[in-house]
Amino acid sequence: MNATPMARRPLGCLKASLRQARQQRVFCRQLATATIASQASMGALPDHNFYRINDPKTKALRTAFAVYMATPPSPSALAARLPPAVPAKKPKAKIAILRNTTMPPVLTAPPSNPMPLLHQTQIKQMDPTGARTALFAKNRHGVRPGDVLQVTHRRGGEPFAGVCLQIRRAGIDSSILLRTHLGKVGVEMWYKIYNKNVAGIDLVKRRAKRARRARLMYMRQPQHDMGSVSELVFAWKKTRKVMTSAPAKGSGGDKAKDQAAAKKKK
Amino acid sequence: MAPRLPARCWRQLQQPSSSSLLLGAAQRSTTLTRSSSLPSASPSSPRFLSHTPRRSVKYGWSTLSPRARPTRFNQVTAGLPAPTTGPAAAIKRREQSTPVRTGVLAIKKGMTAFMGRSGSRIPCTVLQLDRVQIVANKTRAQNGYWAVQVGLGERRADNVGAPMLGYFEAKGIAPKRVLAEFPVRDKTGLLPVGVQLMPDWFHIGQWVDVRANSRGMGFAGGMKRHGFSGQNASHGNSLNHRTIGTTGPSQGGGSRVLPGKKMPGRMGNQRVTMQNLPVLMVNNELGIVVVKGCVAGPKGCIVKIQDAVKKPPPPPEFIDETRRTLEERFPDAEERLTAARLKHLELKEARKEGRIEKMLSAGVPEFLQEGLDQQPEATITA
Repeated sequence: MNATPMARRPLGCLKASLRQARQQRVFCRQLATATIASQASMGALPDHNFYRINDPKTKALRTAFAVYMATPPSPSALAARLPPAVPAKKPKAKIAILRNTTMPPVLTAPPSNPMPLLHQTQIKQMDPTGARTALFAKNRHGVRPGDVLQVTHRRGGEPFAGVCLQIRRAGIDSSILLRTHLGKVGVEMWYKIYNKNVAGIDLVKRRAKRARRARLMYMRQPQHDMGSVSELVFAWKKTRKVMTSAPAKGSGGDKAKDQAAAKKKK
Repeated sequence: MAPRLPARCWRQLQQPSSSSLLLGAAQRSTTLTRSSSLPSASPSSPRFLSHTPRRSVKYGWSTLSPRARPTRFNQVTAGLPAPTTGPAAAIKRREQSTPVRTGVLAIKKGMTAFMGRSGSRIPCTVLQLDRVQIVANKTRAQNGYWAVQVGLGERRADNVGAPMLGYFEAKGIAPKRVLAEFPVRDKTGLLPVGVQLMPDWFHIGQWVDVRANSRGMGFAGGMKRHGFSGQNASHGNSLNHRTIGTTGPSQGGGSRVLPGKKMPGRMGNQRVTMQNLPVLMVNNELGIVVVKGCVAGPKGCIVKIQDAVKKPPPPPEFIDETRRTLEERFPDAEERLTAARLKHLELKEARKEGRIEKMLSAGVPEFLQEGLDQQPEATITA
């Protein structure tokens, strides 16, 4: 059945017409010096370069391919192509779609490391005042390993105090490891510093000299173990009382602290 | 039963003139030939059995023997139920376990946690979509199944072979780093070539299946690979502390190792699917989709995200919304594809005929555009 050969080979007729067009184009080229293609028809085609493949031996051009650009060159040109900013009337969807206010231009590479940016937004949500971030800032005001900290829980209960063995910095997931002795048993607790269950973190006592390690795991060994920090906490509370109550009673708090330190040395 | 006919014998008889109007033609022929002899048979009564028309110039003719000529009784499927095997049956069977929409490719960027207001902590994985584009559609007619081919990232042209350069040239898309196919249920899941899928392809709270290759551990022993307990440290053990021990019974049991015996070997680097992970966050600016829980593979590995198979698909309103958004963002996807195809054909011809060097030296882009403007658009059907 040879009734519809064109229907079976649609590209056949395309080939023929392309060939014809090519012939005509040569004439056009000779007649007109420069013809500007209409932007309406060819505005659709994205920008491209040509990648040439040379023969390895003769170094002559073997073939070439059009390679389209991975990222469009200018956002302004793209904006011109986009439809006018009158949005179509949309039926209300059941599920609220999180639409960003600033939509990035199409086909632009996203930030190669989105994690810090994600952490920033999360931290801003969980720590709007910036107090927790400031407490663990990487400067001389921030907490360092070796300092004694006290963590207060949101749901009440006894606050947990201990010496900070390490600070695990992981953005919103940052945490601290505290060690103390409860009833002559060594106890260590991890706390997420941005967790809502952690109501407050207080700096009880700074380490006298900056620790030269980021992780003070040697403090688990008996000869380096700090033992219970309850006395330090007691002394610190005393100074706070002095500070909060108006009449200053000399430097009682400091004395207590010194005594505690002396006791520990013994 | 008449012999089965090869397709080439009866294909000619099923041209539109005869086969497409089976019922109507049957009726007509009946009324024409039998009206005189059987006036009582009402011409309007429908005939449910297929009826091959009689021999006539009107219906085409065949030189086949009367036995081999197709009738309603010697058809392969005459009177049989729909087959339960074969491609069509397989697609039908897998319909419920095939997602409605295509998925996306992404790069695993690492793990973090979401802190809830009640103090809960949700570990999550950050997956980033880097210029995810639709590259091709696989159709039932052409490929035997419905699927969407999706590409991610970019790749330098000198790192791409000539065949693939031609492939991307015809699509009007920059060479992609990775290509992957996502099966979809039917043709409603297909998308225009060249459009970009952003993270808002998913909505917060929906479930997705995430596939990735796990970390490769290399050649691992039985203890690490299968959790065997190893052997004694002492009691006379010598040099066999981590070996797997015996691999099967002795002579009474056949003196052979049963197939599938767990042994040392390559561990990891297998595809692992995490099913039903809730989406916690989507962000177009950062290009990220955050899913709850962990995903196999190291940071930087390629990940496939698709609507969960074992959960209901996203609501149709949301699917419509995403389709509309795509149309808004890429209104001229079809035109672009057509233009790219035309250009590809032009360049292909030039490459075949060895004119490409001449064209390049003559300044191709302007040179080509003149020719393309003259092309009739209706001829582009491929």
